Amino acid sequence: MKNPFEAFHQAGVRKREIPLDKILKSKEETLSTILKGYEDLLKNEAKDLVWLMQYSTVIKAYSIAEKGIEGIEYTAEDIEEFCYALDHSDQIPYLITGPAGVYISALCNHAKEEEIYLHLRDLTVKINLLGYRLPTDKKLIVEGNVGDFTGIGLDGGEFIIEGSGKNYTGAGMKRGRIIVRHNLGFNTGHGMTGGELIVGGRIKGLGKIVGGKIYERDQLIFPHEGIKPFSF
Amino acid sequence: MKNGYYQTKIRGIYKYISDNLYLNRPDVEIKGEHFNSTLLFSLLTGINRGKELIIGEPGLGKTTSAEYVGSILYRYPLGVIWGSEVSGHPEQTEEKIIGRPHLGELNKGKERVVWSNFAQIPVKIVDEINRLPETKQSMILNGVDRGNWEYLNEILINDEYSLFATANYQDRGTNTIIAPLIDRFDVLIESRHPGSNIAYIIGKEASSNHPLRHPQYEKELHQILRGDKPYEEKMTLAEGVCNLFGDYLKEHLGLEGLNKDERNNVNEEMVEIDFDLDTNAFVRMALAELSFCHKYGQKRSVEVCEEGCHYTGYLCHHIKNCASNRLPISIRNYAQALAWFLEDDGVDIEHVRLIIPHVLAHRIQWKDSYLSKKEGEGRNDPFQIYLAKEATEEIFQRYNEQREYLLDALSVGYRAFAGEEVTPLEGDHPIYEEIKKDIGVKDEKPL
Repeated sequence: MKNPFEAFHQAGVRKREIPLDKILKSKEETLSTILKGYEDLLKNEAKDLVWLMQYSTVIKAYSIAEKGIEGIEYTAEDIEEFCYALDHSDQIPYLITGPAGVYISALCNHAKEEEIYLHLRDLTVKINLLGYRLPTDKKLIVEGNVGDFTGIGLDGGEFIIEGSGKNYTGAGMKRGRIIVRHNLGFNTGHGMTGGELIVGGRIKGLGKIVGGKIYERDQLIFPHEGIKPFSF
Repeated sequence: MKNGYYQTKIRGIYKYISDNLYLNRPDVEIKGEHFNSTLLFSLLTGINRGKELIIGEPGLGKTTSAEYVGSILYRYPLGVIWGSEVSGHPEQTEEKIIGRPHLGELNKGKERVVWSNFAQIPVKIVDEINRLPETKQSMILNGVDRGNWEYLNEILINDEYSLFATANYQDRGTNTIIAPLIDRFDVLIESRHPGSNIAYIIGKEASSNHPLRHPQYEKELHQILRGDKPYEEKMTLAEGVCNLFGDYLKEHLGLEGLNKDERNNVNEEMVEIDFDLDTNAFVRMALAELSFCHKYGQKRSVEVCEEGCHYTGYLCHHIKNCASNRLPISIRNYAQALAWFLEDDGVDIEHVRLIIPHVLAHRIQWKDSYLSKKEGEGRNDPFQIYLAKEATEEIFQRYNEQREYLLDALSVGYRAFAGEEVTPLEGDHPIYEEIKKDIGVKDEKPL
């Protein structure tokens, strides 16, 4: 009798590439390019595995990060993938939350999308420096808790944190708005000169604030009535 | 759209009928093109020599759509088509449908059959087939199926024919179409109401002379069909008149039908069109669901499977009867015809997804419990076609979920059938059981 499966002679070995395969392949390529940019940043900035949080260091790291991501075609989803790769992948030699945050901030600030949503609830580490220099017309929403120095130097963007932050949140922010659903740590808003920081939970302590407004549970806590903001 | 020689002619026919004779909305979309399903399927029936059952309310163009397609495609003047139609009614007889004794010859003691026009010409239309009593439906079984018409001791075999039958919805004057007859139809299609706006303009430009009529050629064709010559000779003569009518259509209406050689060429082109691997596997999956029974080995209309079967979620659990071997033939013929019409290189899943509901709708006998469950659902199609469309999409969804694995399973099936020592793949679908049966892994249940 004729083999009724004749047409499928080669079916097992002749895999068809479906559009999803192509998408996944291109995603993988994008992620590996982003990872390479991050590794370059680490090579420049953390040769001795120590990274000191100084404003000049952050500025330098940011400019290196900007160069690293130049020419990469990526989307907000790729940024999220990168965050998870930082946490889980063995491709990353070491995760230092400072440079990682600067690098992610650079990615967000140069992304095509105006609104970026990062689901970071499952990350085991809290990344510092997220939202650094977030420019006007950008909205960054992070689901999960973040680390220190979040939203520093915010430059007109809107940064929503669906979780809690640590110390120095909004430090040196110039304009824009940071909304934190839960709590913040010490030195919140240290050196901020403008913009709004709205916190749904509690703030452990404020830093030396120059300007702008800080709300805690719908109450304006800076500037207080009768207390003038710092002026240099 | 490409510009194949024959396809351009067929598209011209479609356009002329849809613009002038059968005004209706496009209701199907394939590969970005919109068509009216009744017209599209009637044309496909005409070019692939199929059998189509057209249902619908009275006066919605069931018969006329078939008449127009048959007349232009086969180049028979409308008067001949009308004169060859069979009407379904309780008093219908074999003598009116197939043929009668030649009374003059009979008086001389000789038996000779005068064949009806219906039995002779390649465009066969049975109007209101479900008004034929069930006992009389059996008379046309063979003719419908094979084009063999028998009367007394004579037989007339049509070498090509297309059959269009119309049926009204059930009322006091209708009968059930018997299962063997209904299975012989390739497709079921509904001639729908065109909508109030199109309905309003129908008949506005009615003229006394129908553009598809030609009294002179009609007379000549009637004379040929009535004549004493052998059938083959009559058909050759008729083809000559049809050619003249074809020239007339081309000159006056810009329409080009197909002569017999062209129709044969089209058929040869169509059968050359292959199914791609995906479509092949998808159709097998559909056939498995329509014929498999875990408990009784295969579906049988006299054996009803019970609740609690592992395959409760599959179509086999919702239907009573088994898919006949005519089903895959209908799928193949119509899918090839559609791919040919659209000038695609092969038959793909889009083609069969459009075809399958129409080849299934009249063939599936659903369980009453399933019908009760589904009858209240909102829909645009007649219940039978709606259920078949839903079923097709269900199978398609299952196919998408299991595609890679199924192709592997079929490939393993090939190797096992060829004698290689391989373990067949297990899977959660009747098709995997069928593969195992084919390669002899699963023994038939002991009696």
